[in-house]
Amino acid sequence: MSQKPEPRGATRQTLSGTTSNKTRLSQPFNFTSYLRDHQSTLLESLMRLVQDPLASIMTVMVIAIALSLPGGLYVGLKNVQSITDQWDNQSVISLYLFADLEDTKALALSHQLSSRSDVLNVMYISKEEGMRYFEQSSGYEQILSALPENPLPIVLQVIPTYDVSVETLSSLEALRTELASAPEVEYAELDAQWLHRLASVLSFGQRFVYALSALLIGAVLLIVGNTIRMAVERRRDEVLVMKLVGATDFYIRRPFLYMGFWFGILGGYWLV
Amino acid sequence: MEIEFQRVGKKYETGQEALSQVSFHLQQGEMAFLTGHSGAGKSTLLKLIMMIERQSHGKIIIDGEDLLSLSRKYIPFHRRKVGVVFQNHQLLFDRSVFHNVALPLQVSGADPQHVAKRVRAALDKVGLLGKEKYNPMALSGGEQQRIGIARAVVNKPQLLLADEPTGNLDPRLSAEIMNLFQEFNRVGVTVLVASHDLSLIARMHHRVLTLNQGRIVNDGGFS
Repeated sequence: MSQKPEPRGATRQTLSGTTSNKTRLSQPFNFTSYLRDHQSTLLESLMRLVQDPLASIMTVMVIAIALSLPGGLYVGLKNVQSITDQWDNQSVISLYLFADLEDTKALALSHQLSSRSDVLNVMYISKEEGMRYFEQSSGYEQILSALPENPLPIVLQVIPTYDVSVETLSSLEALRTELASAPEVEYAELDAQWLHRLASVLSFGQRFVYALSALLIGAVLLIVGNTIRMAVERRRDEVLVMKLVGATDFYIRRPFLYMGFWFGILGGYWLV
Repeated sequence: MEIEFQRVGKKYETGQEALSQVSFHLQQGEMAFLTGHSGAGKSTLLKLIMMIERQSHGKIIIDGEDLLSLSRKYIPFHRRKVGVVFQNHQLLFDRSVFHNVALPLQVSGADPQHVAKRVRAALDKVGLLGKEKYNPMALSGGEQQRIGIARAVVNKPQLLLADEPTGNLDPRLSAEIMNLFQEFNRVGVTVLVASHDLSLIARMHHRVLTLNQGRIVNDGGFS
Protein backbone atom coordinates (compact mmCIF):
# COMPACT_ATOMS: atom_id res chain seq x y z
CA MET A 1 0.00 0.00 0.00
CA SER A 2 2.71 2.40 0.98
CA GLN A 3 4.38 1.69 -2.37
CA LYS A 4 1.47 3.08 -4.38
CA PRO A 5 2.52 6.71 -4.73
CA GLU A 6 6.16 5.79 -5.28
CA PRO A 7 6.00 4.38 -8.85
CA ARG A 8 4.56 7.59 -10.21
CA GLY A 9 7.54 9.65 -9.07
CA ALA A 10 9.88 6.90 -10.14
CA THR A 11 8.33 6.83 -13.59
CA ARG A 12 8.86 10.51 -14.10
CA GLN A 13 12.45 10.20 -13.03
CA THR A 14 13.28 7.32 -15.34
CA LEU A 15 11.40 8.89 -18.19
CA SER A 16 13.49 12.02 -18.09
CA GLY A 17 16.56 9.82 -17.71
CA THR A 18 15.44 7.82 -20.73
CA THR A 19 15.22 10.76 -23.08
CA SER A 20 18.79 11.79 -22.39
CA ASN A 21 19.93 8.19 -22.73
CA LYS A 22 18.22 7.68 -26.05
CA THR A 23 20.24 10.38 -27.68
CA ARG A 24 23.33 8.65 -26.43
CA LEU A 25 22.07 5.28 -27.65
CA SER A 26 21.74 6.21 -31.27
CA GLN A 27 25.28 6.90 -32.29
CA PRO A 28 26.01 9.97 -34.42
CA PHE A 29 25.47 9.22 -38.07
CA ASN A 30 28.80 8.57 -39.71
CA PHE A 31 28.61 9.00 -43.47
CA THR A 32 32.02 7.52 -44.26
CA SER A 33 31.35 4.32 -42.39
CA TYR A 34 27.88 4.17 -43.96
CA LEU A 35 29.37 4.45 -47.44
CA ARG A 36 32.10 1.94 -46.66
CA ASP A 37 29.52 -0.54 -45.38
CA HIS A 38 27.48 -0.19 -48.54
CA GLN A 39 30.52 -0.61 -50.73
CA SER A 40 31.69 -3.76 -48.98
CA THR A 41 28.19 -5.25 -48.93
CA LEU A 42 27.81 -4.54 -52.62
CA LEU A 43 31.01 -6.44 -53.43
CA GLU A 44 30.37 -9.14 -50.87
CA SER A 45 26.93 -9.93 -52.26
CA LEU A 46 28.42 -10.18 -55.76
CA MET A 47 31.10 -12.51 -54.42
CA ARG A 48 28.43 -14.72 -52.92
CA LEU A 49 26.75 -15.05 -56.31
CA VAL A 50 30.08 -15.94 -57.91
CA GLN A 51 30.77 -18.54 -55.23
CA ASP A 52 27.64 -20.44 -56.20
CA PRO A 53 27.83 -20.00 -59.98
CA LEU A 54 25.39 -22.70 -61.09
CA ALA A 55 22.46 -21.47 -59.01
CA SER A 56 23.23 -17.84 -59.85
CA ILE A 57 23.50 -18.47 -63.59
CA MET A 58 20.21 -20.36 -63.58
CA THR A 59 18.40 -17.54 -61.81
CA VAL A 60 19.96 -14.94 -64.09
CA MET A 61 18.97 -16.97 -67.17
CA VAL A 62 15.40 -17.35 -66.00
CA ILE A 63 15.21 -13.58 -65.51
CA ALA A 64 16.73 -12.94 -68.94
CA ILE A 65 14.35 -15.33 -70.69
CA ALA A 66 11.31 -14.00 -68.86
CA LEU A 67 12.26 -10.46 -69.80
CA SER A 68 13.21 -11.27 -73.40
CA LEU A 69 9.83 -12.79 -74.31
CA PRO A 70 7.69 -9.64 -73.96
CA GLY A 71 10.57 -7.51 -75.21
CA GLY A 72 10.93 -9.59 -78.39
CA LEU A 73 7.20 -9.67 -79.01
CA TYR A 74 6.93 -5.95 -78.56
CA VAL A 75 9.71 -5.31 -81.07
CA GLY A 76 8.03 -7.65 -83.58
CA LEU A 77 4.73 -5.85 -83.18
CA LYS A 78 6.35 -2.47 -83.70
CA ASN A 79 7.99 -3.78 -86.86
CA VAL A 80 4.71 -4.95 -88.37
CA GLN A 81 3.22 -1.57 -87.57
CA SER A 82 6.06 0.33 -89.22
CA ILE A 83 5.88 -1.90 -92.31
CA THR A 84 2.35 -0.70 -92.96
CA ASP A 85 3.56 2.88 -92.50
CA GLN A 86 6.30 2.48 -95.08
CA TRP A 87 4.08 0.67 -97.58
CA ASP A 88 4.07 3.23 -100.34
CA ASN A 89 0.62 2.17 -101.09
CA GLN A 90 -1.77 4.74 -102.44
CA SER A 91 -5.25 3.96 -101.48
CA VAL A 92 -7.98 4.16 -104.06
CA ILE A 93 -11.62 4.84 -103.50
CA SER A 94 -13.59 3.45 -106.43
CA LEU A 95 -16.85 5.24 -107.14
CA TYR A 96 -19.29 3.19 -109.21
CA LEU A 97 -21.68 5.66 -110.81
CA PHE A 98 -25.29 4.85 -111.76
CA ALA A 99 -25.37 3.01 -115.07
CA ASP A 100 -27.86 5.43 -116.66
CA LEU A 101 -25.78 8.53 -115.83
CA GLU A 102 -24.77 10.68 -118.73
CA ASP A 103 -21.09 11.03 -119.58
CA THR A 104 -21.11 14.83 -119.18
CA LYS A 105 -22.46 14.63 -115.63
CA ALA A 106 -19.85 12.03 -114.78
CA LEU A 107 -17.10 14.23 -116.17
CA ALA A 108 -18.43 17.21 -114.21
CA LEU A 109 -18.31 15.15 -111.01
CA SER A 110 -14.80 14.06 -111.86
CA HIS A 111 -13.65 17.67 -112.22
CA GLN A 112 -15.45 18.70 -109.08
CA LEU A 113 -13.76 15.96 -107.06
CA SER A 114 -10.28 16.61 -108.35
CA SER A 115 -10.49 20.19 -107.10
CA ARG A 116 -10.92 18.98 -103.50
CA SER A 117 -7.97 19.53 -101.18
CA ASP A 118 -7.95 15.96 -99.85
CA VAL A 119 -8.01 14.44 -103.31
CA LEU A 120 -4.79 14.08 -105.24
CA ASN A 121 -6.14 12.81 -108.52
CA VAL A 122 -9.25 11.39 -110.12
CA MET A 123 -9.08 8.80 -112.88
CA TYR A 124 -12.05 8.67 -115.18
CA ILE A 125 -12.77 5.20 -116.53
CA SER A 126 -15.45 5.25 -119.18
CA LYS A 127 -17.74 2.29 -119.88
CA GLU A 128 -15.65 1.31 -122.92
CA GLU A 129 -12.35 1.53 -121.05
CA GLY A 130 -13.86 -0.51 -118.28
CA MET A 131 -14.91 -3.17 -120.75
CA ARG A 132 -11.45 -3.26 -122.26
CA TYR A 133 -9.77 -3.72 -118.86
CA PHE A 134 -12.24 -6.39 -118.00
CA GLU A 135 -11.72 -8.28 -121.25
CA GLN A 136 -7.97 -8.20 -120.81
CA SER A 137 -7.92 -9.26 -117.21
CA SER A 138 -10.70 -11.84 -117.25
CA GLY A 139 -10.13 -13.52 -120.63
CA TYR A 140 -13.90 -13.81 -121.25
CA GLU A 141 -13.67 -11.84 -124.51
CA GLN A 142 -16.05 -14.07 -126.45
CA ILE A 143 -18.69 -14.17 -123.78
CA LEU A 144 -18.49 -10.44 -123.25
CA SER A 145 -18.76 -9.67 -126.94
CA ALA A 146 -21.95 -11.70 -126.97
CA LEU A 147 -23.61 -9.24 -124.62
CA PRO A 148 -26.16 -6.96 -126.27
CA GLU A 149 -24.90 -3.83 -124.53
CA ASN A 150 -22.09 -2.80 -122.16
CA PRO A 151 -23.33 -3.51 -118.60
CA LEU A 152 -20.44 -1.75 -116.85
CA PRO A 153 -20.92 1.64 -115.14
CA ILE A 154 -18.61 4.60 -115.33
CA VAL A 155 -16.01 4.35 -112.58
CA LEU A 156 -14.17 7.24 -110.94
CA GLN A 157 -10.99 6.21 -109.14
CA VAL A 158 -10.32 8.79 -106.45
CA ILE A 159 -6.80 8.89 -105.05
CA PRO A 160 -6.65 10.73 -101.71
CA THR A 161 -3.71 12.94 -100.80
CA TYR A 162 -2.62 10.69 -97.96
CA ASP A 163 -1.20 7.22 -98.09
CA VAL A 164 -3.00 4.27 -96.71
CA SER A 165 -1.86 2.98 -93.34
CA VAL A 166 -3.29 1.91 -90.03
CA GLU A 167 -3.16 5.50 -88.81
CA THR A 168 -4.99 7.12 -91.76
CA LEU A 169 -7.63 4.45 -91.98
CA SER A 170 -10.35 6.36 -90.14
CA SER A 171 -10.01 9.53 -92.27
CA LEU A 172 -10.09 7.42 -95.44
CA GLU A 173 -13.27 5.83 -94.19
CA ALA A 174 -14.77 9.24 -93.58
CA LEU A 175 -13.90 10.34 -97.13
CA ARG A 176 -15.45 7.22 -98.58
CA THR A 177 -18.74 7.78 -96.75
CA GLU A 178 -18.82 11.38 -97.90
CA LEU A 179 -18.25 10.44 -101.52
CA ALA A 180 -20.80 7.66 -101.34
CA SER A 181 -23.48 10.17 -100.42
CA ALA A 182 -23.17 12.03 -103.74
CA PRO A 183 -26.35 11.53 -105.88
CA GLU A 184 -24.41 10.26 -108.89
CA VAL A 185 -22.64 7.55 -106.94
CA GLU A 186 -24.26 4.16 -106.64
CA TYR A 187 -21.55 2.53 -104.58
CA ALA A 188 -18.19 3.64 -103.16
CA GLU A 189 -15.54 1.12 -102.24
CA LEU A 190 -12.42 1.67 -100.20
CA ASP A 191 -9.92 -0.99 -101.07
CA ALA A 192 -8.74 -1.41 -97.52
CA GLN A 193 -10.55 -4.34 -96.02
CA TRP A 194 -7.24 -6.03 -95.34
CA LEU A 195 -6.12 -2.94 -93.44
CA HIS A 196 -9.10 -3.21 -91.15
CA ARG A 197 -8.20 -6.74 -90.33
CA LEU A 198 -4.54 -5.91 -89.82
CA ALA A 199 -5.44 -3.05 -87.51
CA SER A 200 -7.59 -5.25 -85.31
CA VAL A 201 -4.97 -8.01 -85.30
CA LEU A 202 -2.34 -5.47 -84.28
CA SER A 203 -4.42 -4.04 -81.46
CA PHE A 204 -5.13 -7.54 -80.21
CA GLY A 205 -1.42 -8.30 -80.45
CA GLN A 206 -0.61 -5.22 -78.46
CA ARG A 207 -3.00 -6.16 -75.70
CA PHE A 208 -1.61 -9.68 -75.71
CA VAL A 209 1.96 -8.39 -75.36
CA TYR A 210 0.94 -6.09 -72.50
CA ALA A 211 -0.79 -8.90 -70.64
CA LEU A 212 2.12 -11.25 -71.23
CA SER A 213 4.59 -8.59 -70.07
CA ALA A 214 2.64 -8.03 -66.87
CA LEU A 215 2.59 -11.76 -66.19
CA LEU A 216 6.27 -12.28 -66.92
CA ILE A 217 7.38 -9.25 -64.94
CA GLY A 218 5.32 -10.60 -62.05
CA ALA A 219 7.08 -13.93 -62.55
CA VAL A 220 10.49 -12.24 -62.45
CA LEU A 221 9.59 -10.51 -59.19
CA LEU A 222 8.48 -13.81 -57.71
CA ILE A 223 11.62 -15.60 -58.88
CA VAL A 224 13.93 -12.96 -57.44
CA GLY A 225 11.86 -12.80 -54.26
CA ASN A 226 11.97 -16.55 -53.85
CA THR A 227 15.70 -16.74 -54.54
CA ILE A 228 16.33 -14.14 -51.88
CA ARG A 229 13.98 -15.85 -49.46
CA MET A 230 15.96 -19.07 -49.92
CA ALA A 231 19.20 -17.19 -49.39
CA VAL A 232 17.81 -15.78 -46.13
CA GLU A 233 16.80 -19.28 -45.11
CA ARG A 234 20.31 -20.59 -45.85
CA ARG A 235 21.87 -17.80 -43.82
CA ARG A 236 19.42 -18.05 -40.96
CA ASP A 237 22.11 -18.67 -38.33
CA GLU A 238 24.07 -15.69 -39.51
CA VAL A 239 21.02 -13.43 -39.38
CA LEU A 240 20.24 -14.66 -35.88
CA VAL A 241 23.76 -14.04 -34.58
CA MET A 242 23.94 -10.63 -36.22
CA LYS A 243 20.70 -9.63 -34.56
CA LEU A 244 22.03 -10.77 -31.19
CA VAL A 245 25.19 -8.67 -31.50
CA GLY A 246 23.22 -5.54 -32.31
CA ALA A 247 22.77 -5.37 -36.07
CA THR A 248 19.91 -3.17 -37.20
CA ASP A 249 17.25 -4.55 -39.52
CA PHE A 250 18.60 -2.32 -42.30
CA TYR A 251 22.07 -3.79 -41.89
CA ILE A 252 20.74 -7.34 -42.08
CA ARG A 253 18.52 -6.62 -45.07
CA ARG A 254 21.22 -4.86 -47.05
CA PRO A 255 23.15 -7.85 -48.48
CA PHE A 256 19.89 -9.45 -49.61
CA LEU A 257 18.71 -6.29 -51.31
CA TYR A 258 22.03 -6.00 -53.10
CA MET A 259 21.71 -9.61 -54.15
CA GLY A 260 18.42 -8.74 -55.84
CA PHE A 261 20.12 -5.76 -57.41
CA TRP A 262 22.83 -7.98 -58.90
CA PHE A 263 20.31 -10.49 -60.20
CA GLY A 264 18.46 -7.66 -61.92
CA ILE A 265 21.61 -6.19 -63.45
CA LEU A 266 23.02 -9.53 -64.59
CA GLY A 267 19.65 -10.72 -65.95
CA GLY A 268 19.27 -7.48 -67.89
CA TYR A 269 22.83 -7.70 -69.19
CA TRP A 270 22.33 -11.29 -70.33
CA LEU A 271 19.17 -10.26 -72.12
CA VAL A 272 21.02 -7.57 -74.06
CA MET B 1 26.11 -1.02 -15.72
CA GLU B 2 23.29 -1.46 -13.27
CA ILE B 3 20.44 -3.92 -13.63
CA GLU B 4 17.22 -3.54 -11.69
CA PHE B 5 14.23 -5.88 -11.86
CA GLN B 6 11.03 -4.68 -10.19
CA ARG B 7 8.42 -7.44 -9.70
CA VAL B 8 9.01 -8.69 -13.21
CA GLY B 9 6.78 -11.41 -14.65
CA LYS B 10 6.92 -13.15 -17.99
CA LYS B 11 4.04 -15.18 -19.30
CA TYR B 12 4.38 -16.80 -22.72
CA GLU B 13 1.52 -16.89 -25.18
CA THR B 14 1.18 -20.59 -24.49
CA GLY B 15 0.12 -19.63 -20.94
CA GLN B 16 3.35 -20.90 -19.40
CA GLU B 17 4.55 -18.56 -16.67
CA ALA B 18 8.34 -18.42 -16.96
CA LEU B 19 8.99 -15.70 -14.36
CA SER B 20 6.87 -14.09 -11.70
CA GLN B 21 7.50 -11.35 -9.16
CA VAL B 22 11.24 -11.29 -9.83
CA SER B 23 12.97 -8.39 -8.08
CA PHE B 24 16.69 -7.85 -7.66
CA HIS B 25 19.27 -5.17 -8.10
CA LEU B 26 22.71 -5.75 -9.56
CA GLN B 27 25.13 -2.92 -8.85
CA GLN B 28 27.58 -1.47 -11.29
CA GLY B 29 30.67 -3.71 -11.32
CA GLU B 30 29.00 -6.55 -9.40
CA MET B 31 29.33 -10.21 -10.37
CA ALA B 32 26.51 -12.65 -9.72
CA PHE B 33 25.43 -16.18 -10.64
CA LEU B 34 21.97 -17.15 -11.66
CA THR B 35 21.11 -20.72 -10.84
CA GLY B 36 18.22 -23.10 -10.64
CA HIS B 37 16.99 -26.31 -12.23
CA SER B 38 16.43 -26.34 -15.98
CA GLY B 39 13.20 -24.58 -16.86
CA ALA B 40 13.38 -22.38 -13.76
CA GLY B 41 13.56 -19.26 -15.91
CA LYS B 42 17.29 -18.53 -16.14
CA SER B 43 17.35 -18.19 -19.92
CA THR B 44 14.12 -16.17 -19.92
CA LEU B 45 15.63 -13.70 -17.47
CA LEU B 46 18.68 -13.22 -19.68
CA LYS B 47 16.46 -12.88 -22.76
CA LEU B 48 14.55 -10.08 -21.05
CA ILE B 49 17.80 -8.20 -20.41
CA MET B 50 18.80 -8.72 -24.06
CA MET B 51 15.34 -7.62 -25.21
CA ILE B 52 14.90 -10.89 -27.10
CA GLU B 53 11.70 -11.20 -25.06
CA ARG B 54 9.68 -8.52 -23.34
CA GLN B 55 8.27 -8.82 -19.85
CA SER B 56 4.55 -9.15 -19.23
CA HIS B 57 4.60 -7.41 -15.84
CA GLY B 58 6.89 -5.19 -13.81
CA LYS B 59 9.74 -3.03 -14.77
CA ILE B 60 13.33 -3.64 -15.90
CA ILE B 61 15.78 -0.79 -15.63
CA ILE B 62 19.19 -1.21 -17.24
CA ASP B 63 21.71 1.58 -17.30
CA GLY B 64 19.00 3.96 -16.06
CA GLU B 65 16.61 3.04 -18.85
CA ASP B 66 13.20 1.48 -18.55
CA LEU B 67 13.32 -1.22 -21.21
CA LEU B 68 9.58 -0.90 -21.87
CA SER B 69 10.09 2.70 -22.94
CA LEU B 70 12.55 1.68 -25.66
CA SER B 71 10.98 1.14 -29.04
CA ARG B 72 11.84 -1.76 -31.34
CA LYS B 73 14.12 0.53 -33.28
CA TYR B 74 16.47 0.96 -30.31
CA ILE B 75 16.90 -2.76 -29.59
CA PRO B 76 20.09 -3.10 -31.72
CA PHE B 77 21.65 -0.14 -29.91
CA HIS B 78 20.72 -1.62 -26.55
CA ARG B 79 22.32 -4.95 -27.53
CA ARG B 80 25.55 -3.24 -28.49
CA LYS B 81 25.96 -2.24 -24.84
CA VAL B 82 25.55 -5.82 -23.62
CA GLY B 83 28.00 -8.65 -24.29
CA VAL B 84 26.53 -12.15 -24.33
CA VAL B 85 28.09 -15.59 -24.22
CA PHE B 86 25.84 -18.46 -25.27
CA GLN B 87 25.90 -22.07 -24.23
CA ASN B 88 26.06 -23.26 -27.83
CA HIS B 89 28.40 -20.30 -28.52
CA GLN B 90 26.54 -19.30 -31.75
CA LEU B 91 29.67 -19.06 -33.86
CA LEU B 92 29.54 -18.86 -37.64
CA PHE B 93 31.53 -21.60 -39.32
CA ASP B 94 31.67 -19.94 -42.71
CA ARG B 95 34.32 -17.47 -41.56
CA SER B 96 37.52 -17.28 -39.55
CA VAL B 97 37.91 -16.73 -35.82
CA PHE B 98 38.87 -13.13 -36.56
CA HIS B 99 35.68 -12.41 -38.47
CA ASN B 100 33.53 -14.08 -35.84
CA VAL B 101 34.96 -11.86 -33.14
CA ALA B 102 34.78 -8.79 -35.38
CA LEU B 103 31.03 -9.18 -36.00
CA PRO B 104 29.72 -6.88 -33.22
CA LEU B 105 32.06 -4.11 -34.37
CA GLN B 106 31.24 -4.58 -38.04
CA VAL B 107 27.49 -4.36 -37.51
CA SER B 108 27.95 -1.05 -35.71
CA GLY B 109 29.94 0.30 -38.66
CA ALA B 110 33.35 0.59 -37.00
CA ASP B 111 36.46 1.61 -38.89
CA PRO B 112 38.35 -1.52 -40.14
CA GLN B 113 41.64 -0.50 -38.51
CA HIS B 114 39.91 -0.03 -35.19
CA VAL B 115 38.19 -3.39 -35.67
CA ALA B 116 41.49 -5.21 -36.24
CA LYS B 117 42.99 -3.65 -33.14
CA ARG B 118 40.03 -4.46 -30.90
CA VAL B 119 39.71 -8.03 -32.21
CA ARG B 120 43.36 -8.79 -31.49
CA ALA B 121 43.05 -7.30 -28.02
CA ALA B 122 39.97 -9.43 -27.29
CA LEU B 123 41.60 -12.61 -28.64
CA ASP B 124 44.67 -11.85 -26.58
CA LYS B 125 42.57 -11.66 -23.42
CA VAL B 126 41.10 -15.13 -24.00
CA GLY B 127 44.50 -16.55 -25.04
CA LEU B 128 43.68 -17.21 -28.72
CA LEU B 129 45.78 -14.54 -30.41
CA GLY B 130 47.64 -17.00 -32.61
CA LYS B 131 44.48 -18.59 -33.99
CA GLU B 132 42.68 -15.67 -35.57
CA LYS B 133 42.94 -17.11 -39.09
CA TYR B 134 41.55 -20.54 -38.15
CA ASN B 135 38.03 -21.67 -38.82
CA PRO B 136 36.26 -22.08 -35.44
CA MET B 137 35.33 -25.61 -36.53
CA ALA B 138 39.00 -26.60 -36.29
CA LEU B 139 39.21 -25.61 -32.63
CA SER B 140 38.25 -27.48 -29.47
CA GLY B 141 35.07 -26.92 -27.46
CA GLY B 142 36.87 -24.87 -24.82
CA GLU B 143 38.53 -22.73 -27.48
CA GLN B 144 35.22 -22.20 -29.27
CA GLN B 145 33.68 -21.01 -26.03
CA ARG B 146 36.57 -18.59 -25.60
CA ILE B 147 35.95 -17.22 -29.10
CA GLY B 148 32.38 -16.62 -27.98
CA ILE B 149 33.70 -14.71 -24.95
CA ALA B 150 36.07 -12.66 -27.11
CA ARG B 151 33.15 -11.73 -29.34
CA ALA B 152 31.08 -10.75 -26.30
CA VAL B 153 33.74 -8.39 -24.95
CA VAL B 154 35.18 -7.03 -28.21
CA ASN B 155 33.23 -3.78 -28.07
CA LYS B 156 33.96 -3.30 -24.36
CA PRO B 157 30.44 -3.70 -23.01
CA GLN B 158 29.76 -2.62 -19.44
CA LEU B 159 27.51 -5.63 -18.93
CA LEU B 160 28.44 -9.23 -19.67
CA LEU B 161 25.82 -11.98 -19.67
CA ALA B 162 26.53 -15.69 -20.01
CA ASP B 163 24.04 -18.51 -20.45
CA GLU B 164 25.50 -21.82 -19.29
CA PRO B 165 28.94 -20.92 -20.63
CA THR B 166 30.50 -24.08 -19.23
CA GLY B 167 27.67 -26.40 -20.22
CA ASN B 168 29.69 -28.73 -22.41
CA LEU B 169 33.13 -28.35 -20.83
CA ASP B 170 35.10 -30.46 -18.41
CA PRO B 171 35.73 -29.08 -14.89
CA ARG B 172 39.23 -27.78 -15.61
CA LEU B 173 38.11 -25.84 -18.72
CA SER B 174 35.01 -24.64 -16.88
CA ALA B 175 37.16 -23.16 -14.14
CA GLU B 176 39.30 -21.40 -16.76
CA ILE B 177 36.23 -19.85 -18.37
CA MET B 178 34.90 -18.69 -15.00
CA ASN B 179 38.26 -17.13 -14.20
CA LEU B 180 38.02 -15.17 -17.42
CA PHE B 181 34.66 -13.76 -16.34
CA GLN B 182 36.16 -12.86 -13.00
CA GLU B 183 38.95 -10.98 -14.73
CA PHE B 184 36.49 -8.91 -16.73
CA ASN B 185 34.59 -8.21 -13.54
CA ARG B 186 37.78 -7.04 -11.88
CA VAL B 187 38.10 -4.22 -14.45
CA GLY B 188 34.60 -2.95 -13.69
CA VAL B 189 32.30 -4.94 -15.96
CA THR B 190 29.01 -6.06 -14.42
CA VAL B 191 28.77 -9.84 -14.92
CA LEU B 192 25.73 -12.12 -14.67
CA VAL B 193 26.31 -15.83 -15.34
CA ALA B 194 23.52 -18.37 -15.56
CA SER B 195 24.79 -21.80 -14.60
CA HIS B 196 23.67 -24.96 -12.86
CA ASP B 197 27.19 -26.06 -12.04
CA LEU B 198 26.71 -25.64 -8.29
CA SER B 199 30.11 -26.95 -7.18
CA LEU B 200 31.86 -24.50 -9.48
CA ILE B 201 29.67 -21.60 -8.30
CA ALA B 202 30.39 -22.50 -4.67
CA ARG B 203 34.11 -22.06 -5.22
CA MET B 204 33.71 -18.59 -6.77
CA HIS B 205 32.35 -16.76 -3.70
CA HIS B 206 30.00 -14.40 -5.48
CA ARG B 207 26.39 -13.44 -5.09
CA VAL B 208 23.99 -16.20 -6.20
CA LEU B 209 20.40 -15.70 -7.33
CA THR B 210 18.45 -18.95 -7.20
CA LEU B 211 15.36 -19.35 -9.33
CA ASN B 212 12.71 -21.98 -8.76
CA GLN B 213 9.70 -22.16 -11.02
CA GLY B 214 10.10 -18.56 -12.09
CA ARG B 215 10.59 -17.08 -8.62
CA ILE B 216 13.72 -16.01 -6.81
CA VAL B 217 13.93 -18.28 -3.81
CA ASN B 218 17.37 -17.31 -2.60
CA ASP B 219 19.51 -14.21 -3.08
CA GLY B 220 22.85 -14.05 -1.40
CA GLY B 221 26.18 -15.75 -0.96
CA PHE B 222 26.40 -19.44 -1.65
CA SER B 223 25.73 -21.52 1.41
